[in-house]
Parts: sequence; C-alpha cells; structure tokens
Amino acid sequence: MYLTQLLFLVTNMFQDATDVAPMDTLSEAYSDKWIAAANQGEGFFASFMSSNNLIFVVLGVTLIIWTVLIVYLTRVDKKISLLENQLNHSSNEA
Amino acid sequence: MSLVIVGGFLINIPFIPILEQTARNLFFHVPMWMAMYAMFLISLFHSIAYLRKADWLADIKAEAAAKTGIVFGVCGLLTGSLWARFTWGTWWTFAEPKMNLAALALMIYVAYFMLRSAFDEPKKRARISAVYNIFAVSTIPFLLYVVPRQLTSLHPGADGNPAFSEITAAELRFILYPAMIGFIALSYWVYDITYRAYRVRYISEQTLRNPI
Repeated sequence: MYLTQLLFLVTNMFQDATDVAPMDTLSEAYSDKWIAAANQGEGFFASFMSSNNLIFVVLGVTLIIWTVLIVYLTRVDKKISLLENQLNHSSNEA
Repeated sequence: MSLVIVGGFLINIPFIPILEQTARNLFFHVPMWMAMYAMFLISLFHSIAYLRKADWLADIKAEAAAKTGIVFGVCGLLTGSLWARFTWGTWWTFAEPKMNLAALALMIYVAYFMLRSAFDEPKKRARISAVYNIFAVSTIPFLLYVVPRQLTSLHPGADGNPAFSEITAAELRFILYPAMIGFIALSYWVYDITYRAYRVRYISEQTLRNPI
C-alpha cells in the first residue's frame, strides 16, 4: 500500500526531470520577463519545489553543495586510509 | 576560520524579506564561483612558483588547488542548474553563454588532470602541467567575464551589465560578502586537506620506489 504510493511519488519525480520544461525563456528571443517562474509545470517534484515562494529551491541548492563536498571529502578520506594501509604494510615488512 | 563559516551560515537565512525566496541562492551559488576563482588563483601562484624554484611541494599545491577549484566549480554549476530550472524554466540551455562557458572552463581544468596522469616521471609532469595550468587560468576571465558580457543572456552580470544592478536589493550585500569570505575560507580548508593527502601520497610513492 505505502510502497505503491511511494513508487508513484518517485516515478512522478523523475518524470518531471525528463519532461520538456514548461516554458523555455532562453532558446527564444530574450526578454526581462521570467515567464517560467509563474508556470512550473505539473508533477510532484515541480509543484513541491515551487511551493512556499520557491524556498525549497534554496534548500536544494544548499543540499547540492553539502553532498558534493561530503562526497569529495569522503573520497580523499578513502585515499588517505589506503595510504595508511600501504605504510603499515611496508613498515611491517621492514 | 570555521567561525567565519558558521557565522556566515547563521546570519544568512533569517533576515532578508524578499518576495522571491530564490534570491537567497545568491549567498550559495555566487560564493561557489568566488571560491573556485580563489582556488584557481592559488593554483596559478604555485604553478609559477614551481617554474621559478622547481620545488615539488609547489607542484602538489597547484594540483590540490586545481582539484578543489573543480569541486567548487561543479557545485556552482549544479546549483546554477537547479536555480535555472525554477526561474528560467529549464535545467540547461545552450543559448545561455555564461552557463556553457563555465562548463567549458571546468573541462579545461579536467584536461589539466588528464595531462598530469599522462606522465610517469614526476619532474616532467610537474613542469608541463605547470605551463598548462598557467594557460588554463588565463582563459578563465575571458570565458566567464569578457565573452558573456558581449552576448545577450538572462544571467546577471552578462549582457553588458554588472552583476549587481539597481534591481538587486542593497541589503543582500551585507550577507553576500561574509558568505563569500566564509566559503573561500571553507574552500581553503578543503584545499589544505587535499594538499596534505597528496603530499603524503607523493612521499609514500617516493619511498616505495627508492626504499631507504
């Protein structure tokens, strides 16, 4: 029951990502009107993000920065652990 | 340094009464690029230092700074993409010069690491990649400032206008500048960790090659 609902939500999220944007303000002639801001399109992801004056976009932006930095630092951490292992092994052999 | 970062975050959110809440993205998206520029400048400095003194530490520092710069550049690109989706209506568009040239600038730096991995001999690698790095830095101002300002674009700071125009609320500056300092400090910390990791890697490689 909950699983199907969850599945529905998740599929909706990704559907939005693959859909063509509701209004493309850039490929046509430029203007100062940000038409797309008024019409975000359907789908769970889009409607969720555009609720509450788009505040969740800011949340998403900070989360992106957070995840990228964490992923990067974890990779560096792994590299250091690898080096530590190597050093331990070589000092044991010596 | 971390106090600056924490302060930057705490002051950030509560104060600004702006209709479009996404304006707050300014405090996160823009400092990413500033941090990237700072890292690339550090990288340039150490590349020049390497060519002058041929000190292997300078080469490692340049590599670490370029790597950190790429990380922050990717952050800037992804956040910009999400922001664009909800203000311009599209994740990515090839009609937007600043967006695409920023991606191109990052690719130039990815090429720096490909070049590095192509050499086995440390001295040769260090010298050639230092020269390449100086070239890579010299493209950044043109790709991200000169060319976008010659073309029409929705991105602020393009189309001949400065990034802070009269439509931007003045009080944003009070948060933006500490945020820039905070994120540059954060990037410097990340750079320092990377540099130390690379330094240890280099030393262990050398000892493995020539055991004492």
